[in-house]
Amino acid sequence: MENPFQDPLRFPRRVPECAVTIFGANGDLTRRKLAPALYRLFMDRRLPAGFAVVGISRTPMSDDRFREKLRAGVAEFLDGGPFDESVWSAFAQGIFYSHGDIDDSATYARLGARLAGIEQARHTGGNVLFYLSTQPSQYAPAAAGIGAAGLNHGSGWRRLVVEKPFGRDLASARDLSAALQRVFPESEIYRIDHYLGKETVQNILAFRFGNGIFEPLWNRRYVGHVQITAAESIGVEGRGAYYEEAGALRDMIQNHLLQVMATVAMEPSATFRAQSVRDERSKLLRSIRAMEPAAVRENAVAGQYGPASIGGEDVPGYRQEPGVNPASHTETYAALTFFVDNWRWAGVPFYLRTGKRLPKRVTEIAIQFHSAPLAIFDGEANSPNLLILRIQPEEGISLKFLSKRPGQGMTLRPVSMDFNYGSSFGERSPSAYETLLLDALAGDATLYTRQDMVEASWAVVEPIRKAWDEVPTEFPNYAAGTWGPAAADAMLARRGHAWRRP
Amino acid sequence: MSPVRPDRLLRELAALWVSLGREHQEGDGQGVLRACTMTLFVLADEADDPSAIWETMAALMPDHPARAVLVRLARGTGRALEARVFAQCWLPFGQRRQICCEQIEISASDAALADLPPVILPLAVPDLPVVVWCRCPRTFASPELPRICAAAGKIVVDSRAMGDARAVLPTLAARALAGPALADLAWTGLTRWRELVSRVFENRSYLEGLPGASEVSIAFTGDQPPTPAWYLAAWLEAGLRQAGGAARHRFEPLAGEPAGEIRRVAFRGAGPGISIAFTAAGCAESRTGETVSRMALPPASDYTLLKEELGIPGRDPIYEKTLSAAARLAVS
Repeated sequence: MENPFQDPLRFPRRVPECAVTIFGANGDLTRRKLAPALYRLFMDRRLPAGFAVVGISRTPMSDDRFREKLRAGVAEFLDGGPFDESVWSAFAQGIFYSHGDIDDSATYARLGARLAGIEQARHTGGNVLFYLSTQPSQYAPAAAGIGAAGLNHGSGWRRLVVEKPFGRDLASARDLSAALQRVFPESEIYRIDHYLGKETVQNILAFRFGNGIFEPLWNRRYVGHVQITAAESIGVEGRGAYYEEAGALRDMIQNHLLQVMATVAMEPSATFRAQSVRDERSKLLRSIRAMEPAAVRENAVAGQYGPASIGGEDVPGYRQEPGVNPASHTETYAALTFFVDNWRWAGVPFYLRTGKRLPKRVTEIAIQFHSAPLAIFDGEANSPNLLILRIQPEEGISLKFLSKRPGQGMTLRPVSMDFNYGSSFGERSPSAYETLLLDALAGDATLYTRQDMVEASWAVVEPIRKAWDEVPTEFPNYAAGTWGPAAADAMLARRGHAWRRP
Repeated sequence: MSPVRPDRLLRELAALWVSLGREHQEGDGQGVLRACTMTLFVLADEADDPSAIWETMAALMPDHPARAVLVRLARGTGRALEARVFAQCWLPFGQRRQICCEQIEISASDAALADLPPVILPLAVPDLPVVVWCRCPRTFASPELPRICAAAGKIVVDSRAMGDARAVLPTLAARALAGPALADLAWTGLTRWRELVSRVFENRSYLEGLPGASEVSIAFTGDQPPTPAWYLAAWLEAGLRQAGGAARHRFEPLAGEPAGEIRRVAFRGAGPGISIAFTAAGCAESRTGETVSRMALPPASDYTLLKEELGIPGRDPIYEKTLSAAARLAVS
């Protein structure tokens, strides 16, 4: 029976009483992202009174010590509002801790007893969300441990959230899926890609499918090319060891940027239900043309930043960062040209680039339309229209078009029509983790990736990875603080295009 | 003849933007950003404090940037109309560019109401929603209101200021059927109460007991049930029916000030005793059997109520159903 007193127009969706069990609760992600997001949801009254958090990690500590650690993380990393001690003390009553090794069956026995006690005391109805925030190598053992202890079944629902990276390649992604699916059905596995939780990425769907005027232009007939940029101005910031294993291709392209590209290019979904939206995303990912080795040379550029002086400050190169091999061949920059083999996008290049130590932090999608078929004006007249979807830092949408300059003569000048998310909607946007956690608790998987989507994106990225591993690029090939290697500019120039300067 | 001409007001607004733009470009070089998502007409009595109304508007602008037009209506027979335009700007936290909204204040006498529509309708921003906040019960009853609200997609009233609830609710129900979407701040003020009730029944075991409820009591301050009490009764009865129950409401008048405030909602027969009660300013207590939890029940203000209403651009089907049921209850 549905609660007849719900009013989705007036008060936000509520999630049922439940417990979130975080594996890797002593880690950075919990402290920086998960705990602040849960606290914020609690503060905004999005979580039920009986909500509970159970942290698991190897370090023995009391519930109170764990609460204190989380409290410090929340106070430091809370976004968009002051920390409220009274809200925290109410929230903290539902926080518990259980220590243990992921490979030890006793860990799960203890966890089971803890969850049973919480179910009784806090009326959670046996609903449990397991969140794997551990090293990726521990995802499969943790799921197996949950299954062996029978914690994947109970009187309520049981779900599993898995952080990226989801595998290192297609084979390992398939192995991991198989390991998780031995314990949880695919419908209860939530693979997190926090980019999809960003308000402005969701707004791409609203922009495309909530308006009638853009979709008719959204195809090869009107769009010349698409550029997706995710630039970071910082380096690896102490994550050198992780980054050595990942690189830009695995860290950003395989998951975040391909998901953004799928959102930009997918066909309209028949409904806004999870299955339907994910089907369309998946179809698009499967339509991306896989590159042959020769195509990789033409359409993929790897880069690694070298040392530079930025604003009078000496900035180390990647190879000089702590935890990085001084002869490392890990790419910190990737620029790729993809083609989508379907009727809508045939022949339209999708340029994706991401990198560390670029001049500024910016994520945006630029859709460049064809120029007017006949240039009847002089000067700037041939400048194509550009639609820019800005994801961060200043979320919004801009449309660049030409306008006549006031005065005598017919001189045209590009002007920009801007929509700024922050000025039209004063309310705070929830963080990606708030959105995604709430969705998982409510059983809505729309913004989570599915096994077939993960495999399709690995199938796109794997030939590039292989080609780069076989023929390494000479690194470093761009200076910190610049827009990447010259080869990336040349890649676009071959088609008569140029990267935007965001 | 009216001395106020809308084309002149619009020219003044345009000039205002030019001067604001120049001022800021010469100052911080950032210029100003015009933000507008709707036109909000406020029909207020001359006795209402205009600075309090503009303060409410100012607080609303970051969430609902609008061209705000305050019409202050004076009792009288002289056909007077006056107007002034200005802009309100704010600097969002962490940003360097000011955001500005347009504001227009018009003073009119009741006798000039008929002159008002041709003045205010051209002031609505083209293609954006128009909302009328009718604070003045006298104007709500005026035959000119439909003309004034011709472009409005939504009219916001406050039935608590409109007198006897039993008489007001059928009038509102009739208006809701005929004209643009209607919103009542008396209903808006119940959102937190309704959310607390809903929250209790998110728990499956309490939800399963809901059809067994034999009575739901609503306690309020004062002698006669105010409109919020009727709304709550109608909404709760509808929910109970949807759950398969048939419990009826019982009103419980309480002594206390101010009159017309909801103080407690209690379900009899729905599993363990379930009640939600106002305890002290800003707090409520929810009891389910032995379990007691305290929650925030922040006092509502014009700002909080309007902020919620302006966030709902179209019709609110739950409100409309409740209004119609409450009107039936009130006359039965």
